[in-house]
Amino acid sequence: MPAPHDPMAEIKASFFHECEELLDVLQDGLMAMQNGEEDSETINVIFRAVHSIKGGAGAFGLDGLVRFSHRFETVLDALRAGTLAPSADVLRTLLSATDHLADIVELSRDDAPLPETDTLAICDAIDQLIGDPAPKTTHQSDIDFEPEKITLNLDPSDPPKDQAHVPDTTSKIRHFRITFQPFAELFETGNEPAVLLRHLHALGHASTSCDLSDLPPFEKLVPDIPHLRWDITLETQADLAEVQSVFEFVEGLCHLNIELESVSSADPTPAHQSEPPQYRNDTAAPSRPTTGRQVKPGRPTPPVQKPVVRVELDRVERLVNLVGELVINQAMLSQSLDQSGLSPHSDAMHGVEEFQRLTRDIQDSVMMIRAQPVKALFQRMSRIVREASGALGKDVRLRMLGECCEVDKTVIERLADPLTHLIRNAIDHGLEDPATRCAAGKPAQGTITLSAAHRSGRVHIEVGDDGAGIDRPRVRQRAIEKQVIAADAVLSDSDIDALLFLPGFSTAPAVSDLSGRGVGMDVVRTEIQALGGRVSIQSAPGRGTTFSISLPLTLAVLDGMVISVADETLVLPISLVIETLTLTAPDVSLLRPGCHVVRARDGFFPLIDLGHHLGYRPLIETFEGGIVLLVALADGTSAALLIDDIVDQRQVVIKGLDDRFFRAPGIAAATILGDGHIALILDPSDFVSGAFDTPRVPHTAPAPQGEPA
Amino acid sequence: MSLRDQLQIMVVDDMSTSRGLLTQALDSFGIRNVSSAENGKAALALLAKKPVHLVISDYNMPEMDGLHLLQHLRSGEKTKGVGFILITSQAEQKIIDHGKKLGMNNFIKKPFEVTQLKICIEAVVGRL
Repeated sequence: MPAPHDPMAEIKASFFHECEELLDVLQDGLMAMQNGEEDSETINVIFRAVHSIKGGAGAFGLDGLVRFSHRFETVLDALRAGTLAPSADVLRTLLSATDHLADIVELSRDDAPLPETDTLAICDAIDQLIGDPAPKTTHQSDIDFEPEKITLNLDPSDPPKDQAHVPDTTSKIRHFRITFQPFAELFETGNEPAVLLRHLHALGHASTSCDLSDLPPFEKLVPDIPHLRWDITLETQADLAEVQSVFEFVEGLCHLNIELESVSSADPTPAHQSEPPQYRNDTAAPSRPTTGRQVKPGRPTPPVQKPVVRVELDRVERLVNLVGELVINQAMLSQSLDQSGLSPHSDAMHGVEEFQRLTRDIQDSVMMIRAQPVKALFQRMSRIVREASGALGKDVRLRMLGECCEVDKTVIERLADPLTHLIRNAIDHGLEDPATRCAAGKPAQGTITLSAAHRSGRVHIEVGDDGAGIDRPRVRQRAIEKQVIAADAVLSDSDIDALLFLPGFSTAPAVSDLSGRGVGMDVVRTEIQALGGRVSIQSAPGRGTTFSISLPLTLAVLDGMVISVADETLVLPISLVIETLTLTAPDVSLLRPGCHVVRARDGFFPLIDLGHHLGYRPLIETFEGGIVLLVALADGTSAALLIDDIVDQRQVVIKGLDDRFFRAPGIAAATILGDGHIALILDPSDFVSGAFDTPRVPHTAPAPQGEPA
Repeated sequence: MSLRDQLQIMVVDDMSTSRGLLTQALDSFGIRNVSSAENGKAALALLAKKPVHLVISDYNMPEMDGLHLLQHLRSGEKTKGVGFILITSQAEQKIIDHGKKLGMNNFIKKPFEVTQLKICIEAVVGRL
């Protein structure tokens, strides 16, 4: 292609981006068909998606992609033509073809070799659907383009003047209205309006009126400047171009407006530079580029598209960082004003309130830039469902709700693994096999529901199944076997459910390929909690299980508890804190020298003196009257952290520690407080699990009760 | 002033990649006055405001396909004279015949080479 290299590379990149959108459309459409939407538009949308991918791939010479999408398109065409019925089997094959198409698109983007054998297998499956795999002739010609076909079929070679849409140019009488006003330069170039007018008259019947309104009084008349304007109505057999040709030599030297008023093909005419271009030279133009300069249009109309700007992530990150600075700065300003003793009704205080509100708005808006709909993530999950259900021989339908819900990009990226695990788990352990389902009076097809919703500043994502529910007696039995709980422990249903999150806990009789990969629900919970989220379970026997994940909308801001320990100010993520206590003597028991436990919530929590643990001071002797925070951690462990004081509870902006700092155990990040001091954000998981052996206490770890909002 | 400087073309395709490719190809012919729309309906709305000389349209599009666009163009007083080239990979006789009946000026089959596009356009508007 003669085109410069760069724009093409850009277009190619945008092609792959568009492919992703089209694949989403394709998958959406097929799933809509699974849900019974079999109208022709749905089928057409599906067809078009594959068709467009093929078209784009062809333009970039991605032969493998063209070949496969072509095969795919052939089946869809049969579907569209009604020769293939969209049965469940057909749709399943089409969905796996979609997955394969997605793979090929990705491989093509990376210039990687394509998986020919997989492609063959899928193509075989496709061919079986349509019975006669011989493609129609038109499809074959898609690949071998026959240039003569153009002239053969349509005969477009005949120049356009005589095209049907410009019916005979000679026999009709046309009525033109012409306005002609010479500029001063017209005379200088030796042109004479009278000659032009005579030429017009020669074309047909013209009636001319002269507008004298600009004519100055005689004594002020400058004779070599034109002052007149003419309005001419012309009846002629000549077409527009011929009329224009009269003015050929004065283009740019006059205001000229030629309008075709009536009769046959309405070709209004170009006028002044400022006017929008019109059709006057649609087809005749090549031979008569007469009024060229005057026709020159303004900028072409921009395309009707949703206005979207693609921005490098780095720039957004920079903005996010700056907003963080702004939030800190605003907090510092508020704090120093508070301490200045100004009246709360003073203008300065009102101003700073307004500033605070604006800062919060800016923060929200900037975070929105990073937000993305969860749809793409959910789409990936539908593939997981297909693969898992196929591997397990279960018939599963995925229902998705709230895909438009937006969440921080990073959160979305890091949710993929835990969601995959939950979904595999739900299909493997949650859903019964079809026979059992039928016996229980349920439809043979199981349903997995994946939903997202915004609630009170957090996003809630749920993975639900309509399976048998958690087999609590078995979970309990298993916990006793593993010596996690005492045989006579009294546990509520939710306590038992929470046992599933303990490391290494699995109720599956056999470790399956699919969900039992040695990672359990504890990993899911670790990952969710690493995102500042919580996960909880609701389960009803015979009706199914739902895992609910609650996540912060962004990772850049954290709800923190500001605490002081040995005169140091620290921040603890509030989501970890399940309760705060003031210790009394009987609460604390000595396990062994240096190891104390706190009795609370029907269990024992290892007591960690934060001040000592972080190296701020020696271990204190008496715990009585001390403040402890009960924290429940990602891995299911918990502890009581002894602190000096709770200072505040507020949102803090997370500032990552530079890589040059070694990874200090127990420190996750830092933040800047309103008074300008830097405070470290704690990650208690390091010292809680390392402190001493964590007692296996049943706890209602992620339960929301003790948690400040 | 040459034809290519004056010629105003609208590219209609639901796929932004195709719009980009066409615009790029036209640019390589020296045609800079190119607008675009993502389907027939959007094209009509734009053309009502700002006419062009030639519409190069995809066939299969949502909302309104290429031939329906053509039909609307030919029935509109202001747009009936516009040149129309259909791009289709389903170069079926039926579609082409239908287009011909509606007053299609030319068609080009996907995928195409840039030179083919030029020939196709020149057949409608004259030498570029």
